[in-house]
This record gives sequence, structure tokens and C-alpha cells, in this order.
Amino acid sequence: MTEIDLDDLMENLAQCRRCGICRDAVYEDMGFDGICPVWKNTAGFETSFMRGKLMIAIALLEGRLEKTSDNTEALYACSLCGNCTEICAAEFDPKESLELVRAVLSDIPNEVRDTLAERILTTNNPYVTDKKGKRDWVAELGFEPPTKADTLYYFGCTAGMKLPETAKAAARLLKAAGIEFAVLEDEPCCGSVMIRTGRLQDAEENAKKVLESIQESGAKTVLVSCAGCLKTLRKDYPEKFNLSMPKIVHFVEYFLELVKSGKIKLKPLGKNVKITYHDPCHMGRELGIYEEPRDLLKAIPGVELVEMETNRRAAMCCGAGGGLRSYDPELSKKIAADRVREAEETGAEIIANACPFCEQNLESGAKLIDSSIRVADIVDLIVDLIE
Amino acid sequence: MNTKVVSELVKIVGEEYVSTRVDVLLTYSETASMAKDPVTPGAVARPGSAEEVSQILQLCNKNKILVTPRSGGSSLQGEAIPKPDGLVVDLLRIKGITLHKELRSVTVGSGITFGELDKFLNQHDLWVPVAPESALICSVAGNVAVNGAGPGSSAYGCIAEMVLGVEVVLPNGEIIQTGSEANPNAPGPFLRYAFGPDLTGLFIGSLGSLGIITKVSLKTYKRMHQFHYETYGFDTAEQSEKFLIEVKNNDVLPMFASVYEGPVLNFFMDMVGEEYGIPEHEWPHRTVSMTIGRLREDRMKSDAKKAKEICEQLGGHVIGISELPQGEWEGRFWTFVRTCYIHGWHWRTLYHHQTPTNSHRSVEEITAAMDEHGFLGHTAGFLSGHSTMNMYPHFYFDPLDKEEDHMIRAAHDELAITLYKTGAVPFKLAEYWKGRMEGMEDYMKLLSAIKETLDPNGILNPGVLGGI
Repeated sequence: MTEIDLDDLMENLAQCRRCGICRDAVYEDMGFDGICPVWKNTAGFETSFMRGKLMIAIALLEGRLEKTSDNTEALYACSLCGNCTEICAAEFDPKESLELVRAVLSDIPNEVRDTLAERILTTNNPYVTDKKGKRDWVAELGFEPPTKADTLYYFGCTAGMKLPETAKAAARLLKAAGIEFAVLEDEPCCGSVMIRTGRLQDAEENAKKVLESIQESGAKTVLVSCAGCLKTLRKDYPEKFNLSMPKIVHFVEYFLELVKSGKIKLKPLGKNVKITYHDPCHMGRELGIYEEPRDLLKAIPGVELVEMETNRRAAMCCGAGGGLRSYDPELSKKIAADRVREAEETGAEIIANACPFCEQNLESGAKLIDSSIRVADIVDLIVDLIE
Repeated sequence: MNTKVVSELVKIVGEEYVSTRVDVLLTYSETASMAKDPVTPGAVARPGSAEEVSQILQLCNKNKILVTPRSGGSSLQGEAIPKPDGLVVDLLRIKGITLHKELRSVTVGSGITFGELDKFLNQHDLWVPVAPESALICSVAGNVAVNGAGPGSSAYGCIAEMVLGVEVVLPNGEIIQTGSEANPNAPGPFLRYAFGPDLTGLFIGSLGSLGIITKVSLKTYKRMHQFHYETYGFDTAEQSEKFLIEVKNNDVLPMFASVYEGPVLNFFMDMVGEEYGIPEHEWPHRTVSMTIGRLREDRMKSDAKKAKEICEQLGGHVIGISELPQGEWEGRFWTFVRTCYIHGWHWRTLYHHQTPTNSHRSVEEITAAMDEHGFLGHTAGFLSGHSTMNMYPHFYFDPLDKEEDHMIRAAHDELAITLYKTGAVPFKLAEYWKGRMEGMEDYMKLLSAIKETLDPNGILNPGVLGGI
């Protein structure tokens, strides 16, 4: 693992000169309509947004603030959405710095963080204490994908256990497109949440296990339907753990190519169906994948794509990431509700997304405010449209 | 802080909006004022209305609790650094924007930023043409309290010139409305200089020490869409200074006109030139980067022609690099913040005004101080009113280098005295001017008397206004 250079981290943290632009900048020219969803959905003290979080981080690291669970609360009350990094005028990445601070301070007790990590390490998922259920969706497919192939569908914990319809849709989509693919027998969790919450060493061990499983499948290409898995496998594993990964591709990237090349054709979804697209932070701000999902949606006949007020690099977060959904579920859902309201303002019938983790939280947000808007993965939208 | 007082605060604003947590207090111990040492308050309260602010101030008066008002926390001269065990009143929850279209004005709550206001007014093709460089962070009310300036000021002056009235909570808790709105039967904010002396002006630039501004009413203007961007080169400082005077004399409307010394501009270009697509250039001794704005295209073109004539008559030349002023103007809500933080240094500032014809004196003194003490920094200025330059020197330091920090503090103190003697006028009477303004003793005595009258217990941000 690349060791965290504490001096380097402190130097980065010192780049924050507390201007406060990371709070709620509304800047029409750059598309920002607020920055920090936590600030907006809490009592709004300085601890809620990045400026305050970094002040606390520095104080903890310098020993000016006692290293207690209470004093680290603010560090975890953040979805690491990275909107602050987008607007930050200084030469550092506040979101990445906070993620590293969590790792450096991982000896401070945090029950939520540690429970998630223990589950992942022992049961290959962050949700339950046994391995049962993660692959149940395969039995409902009507066909049995092999465990070895050139292409692997790495379905992820959320699709497998919380939104199995998405996992099934993804598999059916591949079959309909004539792609031979494998699904692992015992798929390990990508460990994204361990990286985000500071359990880096465990995350590295887990990453090696993931890579080993992928290698055993013989896959040259790994397809993912989760933005979190995508960012973790494509970016974090090589950059943080020096792992050499095969090609990691998201479904929307993969299927856009198939549509563009004419290998698959899509039937109409309906007539003038208004859809808005929610940018998952891990896919958008982290990897710069903004146009592919939109292009794929626009390629569906009968779809009118409308944009939310904040989109692409300035998109507000759904509130699920960075461990926040586990750390403070109510806050996480309130943030999602905010995003749903933003989607409703477009007049869209559907919030499309490309991440089961976002989808799950947006659905919770919609429920919280009794919204009738449909939250749907792009995979779910196109599965029945292949001619 | 006394637990009884905290309980009373909870009764006023609700439990959710009061904190005495050690981590919360730590985050209110500092602001963007990099050169100020942190001071930990005893509590933070986030009121949601002027009435709640009023009750808080009554409570604090009764219990002699020192109060520091704060909104964006972006002030650079220590205006919102709390007092030990004092109360920070965070005003960002007080929202609301009301447009008075027929009155050509708008009223905003103390939690509204310039970014929010600009977005709102843009829907009506209107704007408040003056905004500070921290427009995305600071609240309008906070900026009025420090009397800020920025892009737009070259034509319209500092933010004070936009203000028609304020709602202010006095230290004793009374809520006062100034300007035409003082008459409850008036249709709204349309006249500032109403009912005798300019009480509105008393609170502008008072750094939150005479009252807490909870609402501000400002002038609105039809939004301009015609701009001309140009850079003008001069061989002497005097030429560039004369150019700015003649621009104003000839009714050319510079929305933003900055004057840069060659080396300072080179320094800026090294940092952001490529990022903003500004072509490489051998910048002259002085460059004026100017955005002319007009509602009508013919007037904009006429102004641009006149500016060129003035420049050439004075022996200058049109450089022809429009990207610099265009970047400054179009990106004015973010570009300057970027320039302030991209380089990585912490910095002290010493904001002051000079007349255009005297602005070179600031450059000379600051350059001399940098040479003498051996620190890095820069100064530049922009036209900020009828005949005024807003000078914004930055003195760089590494916060981890205590020796350097000490040296910069000493140089800063020295410079305050030196610059004052050159005729510099601080529009924000920051604490560092205290005792350094020889010949203004009677003025300061009057200011102290006003403070004592309004705030006999001295609870509201004491010491921040030039030490008062």
C-alpha cells in the first residue's frame, strides 16, 4: 500500500485558508447551486461543511483536540461527494484529504465504520452478517451464467442484495446482446466503504482478494453496474494499492458503444417520456463520466432528457456515499429527498441513474417526501428495449 | 459559558441551533482571517430572525456576554474572531429576498450571499452591479458591515453606495429600520437619506460593533450585456494614474479597472495566465486592465474609443490583450478567490484606499518594506469610486514558520503607520489601525462616544472597530 505521508497530508490541509467557498456557493455561471449537502440538511454549524471538517482534522492531528469519537463525528458526517473539491480555489483536494484523515485517525473508535469493515471481511458484503442472499438473483434469471469467461459481470453488493432486479436486468441485457459473461460464485465486496471510512489496510487485503477472484474467472473485461465499484476497481485499486487491474467498464459505457456501433438497437420507451439523470459522484466528479449515460438515454427513442438545475460537475449528491448512509441514515435520506425535489422541478417522470447505491438512497428520499417520481437504473430502463 | 445563559439561548433559537460542543466552538474560533490567532468562544447560536437576534442581545446585555456577529466567515481582517467564552451569533439562517421592482430595489436577509442574489436578480434581467471578490461566500449584510468593494466598484463605488437602508438590531435588542422604510407606510426602500442624518451609514463599515444587520435593502439596475475588454500599457505610474482620472472625467464607465505593476502582473500570470488563456506578453511598467460596461452598445463603443484616445494622448498604448480583463470580469465571482489561494501561501492584508494619483506611493512603501524585511508579497489596486483606488496588498507567510510570522506582523504594523502617513484611508477601520492614525484622536473619540451610547455595556464585538 502507498503509505500516507503525514507531512504531505498536513501540507495539503494547510492549503485550506478557510475561505468558506465549500459551504453553499451559488454560482450560476459555473452551474453551482449550493455545495455541501450536509450543511444544507443539518443545523448548519461550521462543523457540517468542509472548512470546519478540515479545521477539526488539523486540530486532531496536531493534538489540539482530543481524539474522541465525539470529536471525530464531523469527519464522518460527509458523503465525500467532492462538490467542495470542484469549487475549491486552492491547489488541493479537500475531499481526498478528508478521506486520508479518516485513515490516519482510524484508531479512534467508530462503531459504524468497524462494523461495516468486519462484515465485508467476513461475509463479503457490508449489509448482513452472513453470505446468504447475495447471489440469489442468479437463480431467478432462467439461465445460469458460468463462473469463468472473458467478460465478468461484477454485480456488487447493493445490486445483488438490495436491488436484485437491477442485477437481473444487467445479466439479461448482456444475454440479449449476445455477450458471454461470467458471475462469480462468491463475489467479494469491492470494499469502497472501507476505503472511504479509513480502514485502508483492510481495504487493501480485501482488494487483493477481489483481484484474485477476478483473475480466477479469467476475465479480461470486468463490467460493473455500480458507480462505487467502478471508481474503486478502476481508480482506487491501481492508485492506492498498486494493483494491476483488467479493463473495468461500466454498463453505460459498454452499452453506449454497442448502440453506437449498431450492434444493438433500442425500441421506444414510450412517447415523450421525460427523464432526468442523476450524476453519481463516483462516476461524474471522480471519473469524469458525464456524457456517456446521457448519450445512452438520448439514444432511447421516445425519451426527452431534461437536466436538473445542478448537473455534471456541480451535481448535488444523493447523500449515500462516504459511509454517510450507514453513519447517519436519516441525514442521508434527507439529502436524497433534496435531490428528488430537484428532479421533480424538471417535470421528469423518471430519475435515471447508473448506481444502485444512489438508486437505493434516492428511493428512500422519494419515500420520505411522498414523491411519485420513479427512480430507475439505466440498465432497468433499457433491458426490455433491445430489438 | 454559564449553563443558565445557554438554556436561555436554547429557549430563544431552539436546541438544534445552539452549540457548546468543543468541536463546534473550535470551528468558530477562526475565520478566513489567516493572520489572526484563534479565540475559542463559549457558545454559538444560529438565530432564524431579527426577533431572535433581539432576544439574544437582550440576554447577553443582561449577562454581560460578549457577542461576535458572523455570517460567511470570509472576512480577512479579524472582524468575526470571537471573544474568549463569548457568544458567536451566526446569521446565515436569516434568509429571504424581496424584489421591489417599481422601486428599483431589493431587500435581502442577512444569510443571503451575493451569488444567491445575483442568480435571483438575473431572472429579472437585473443586478446589483457591485460585488466583492468573496461574492460566493460572504453575505450581502456581512459585506455591508465591512463596507466591501470589488468588481463593479470602479463605476459605482463600494457596496455602501448601493445601500438604501438596513434593518439593524441594536446592542440593547431594539430593532431599527433605516432609510425610507423607517416609515411603516412607505412603499419600501427607495430613499436612503431620509429622516435626517444618514443612520444607515452609521452601520455600514461598523464591523458589527454598533448593531447586527439583519436585512439590507439595495439599489437594483438593469443588467448590462455590453462590455468592452482592453489592456492599456504605460511607461510610468503617473501616466496610468492620470489615465484613470481622465477615464472618470470623460464619463467612460469602467466596471472594473485594475492597475498592475509589471512584475506583479508577471507573478499573477505565472500563476493563472495559462489557466485563463491569457497570451504571454512582456508587460509594461504599468498595465491597466479595464472592462467598460454599458447598457447600450453605441455607448459602450463610444467609451472604448474614448479610452483608447485618452491612453494614447497620455503616451500610453493599447496592448490589445482582452483576455485579462474579460477573465477578471466574467469570472469575477471566482477568479479572484482563485488568485488569492492558488499560490499556497498564507497572507496578511492591509486594505486601504488611495487617490489614483497617490496610489504609486502605496506601491513604493510596500515594495520598500518587502525589500527591507525580505518577505514576499504584492500589491495592486483597482478603481473603486469617484476618485479612489482600492489597494489590496498581500504579505505572504508560512504559518509553520514562527520567525517569519513574527517578522510579517512587525512589518504589517510598521506599514500601517507608513501608509497612513502617505495619505492612505482605510475604509474598513480594522483593529490594526488602532493607535496608528496620528491626528485623528478627536474623530476616534466621537466614534467611541457613539459606541458607548449604543452599547454602554460594550458587549457587541468590542475592540474590532479600530480598537473601540
